Amino acid sequence: MDKTDWEMLSFLQEGIPLVREPFSDLAERLGITPDEAVERLRTLQEEKVIRKFGLFVWKSRLGVAANAMVVWKVPSNRIQDVAEFLSEFREVTHCYQRRTTPKWRYNLYTMIHGREREGVTDFVKRLSDRVGVRDYAILFSVKEFVRRSTGPIGPSRFRKQ
Amino acid sequence: MPLDSATTLKATERLDPIDRRLLEKAQDDFPLIVRPWKSIGNDLGITEKEVIKRLNRLSRRGLIRRIGPALDARRLGMASTLIAMKLPEKRIQHVASLIRKRGNVSHCYQREHEYNLWFTIVARDKLELEKMLKEIRRRTRVAENDTLNLPATRIFKTDVRFQLT
Repeated sequence: MDKTDWEMLSFLQEGIPLVREPFSDLAERLGITPDEAVERLRTLQEEKVIRKFGLFVWKSRLGVAANAMVVWKVPSNRIQDVAEFLSEFREVTHCYQRRTTPKWRYNLYTMIHGREREGVTDFVKRLSDRVGVRDYAILFSVKEFVRRSTGPIGPSRFRKQ
Repeated sequence: MPLDSATTLKATERLDPIDRRLLEKAQDDFPLIVRPWKSIGNDLGITEKEVIKRLNRLSRRGLIRRIGPALDARRLGMASTLIAMKLPEKRIQHVASLIRKRGNVSHCYQREHEYNLWFTIVARDKLELEKMLKEIRRRTRVAENDTLNLPATRIFKTDVRFQLT
């Protein structure tokens, strides 16, 4: 990644405009052609620096009112299988393995969304039955304080020289 | 999928079939080209102009959060982690605002659990991450005992796609 890539990602934090050529303004600011801009973005996507490029919806506006972090305690020899199985479901948008601590033994985290809580709870119960993992907890979100899609690109002090 | 869930994500009744497909396409299969709306329009059988018109309308209705990239902190060479805190209910708002002010927090949610405040922080490297954490603990006066530091060790899925049909 070079300086232009960093600047490009920084400009893109706000998203692209709804015009015919949404990358042209950006390209001009960077002193490159629109073709080069999208080429760079495709490369970053291939390198998985960009994990997703696209439209992000407001879930709540689409009737998705129940958002849960479901944590599971999975035997380590089964983590891959269970994770891959759970990841197949569209209701499961994220699936991460995380470090455990002596007092917090859950190692697999899934973000699961639905229209309302009862549906999500039932769904999770059935997932639990299917994968044979009984030790889990459902942590519904009750308030969103911060949610930034881009995350890290912000102050320039983060840029590696 | 054999396990048919009761949590099928249905769009609001007011989205016509083209809007639904448009939103799915734009979420899941966005073409990174100079004229993306034209390509999406081709897939949906509508003009580029209509794609833009529809997206503007959906945006005015507050359905669209943003169109752009979601980045992977780790691939950018950064360190990130998920932190959970156990707080008295009445402190949550205040602690959340302190954390928010600190910056470099990409997500922060109150959750229903003994550990009721969860947030992700991103830093230039592990050392800076540690420093940030120490500072957050100091400012918020939350004991280490009431905190969990849970960095990801493996990412299986990180796809924010909401199926609308």
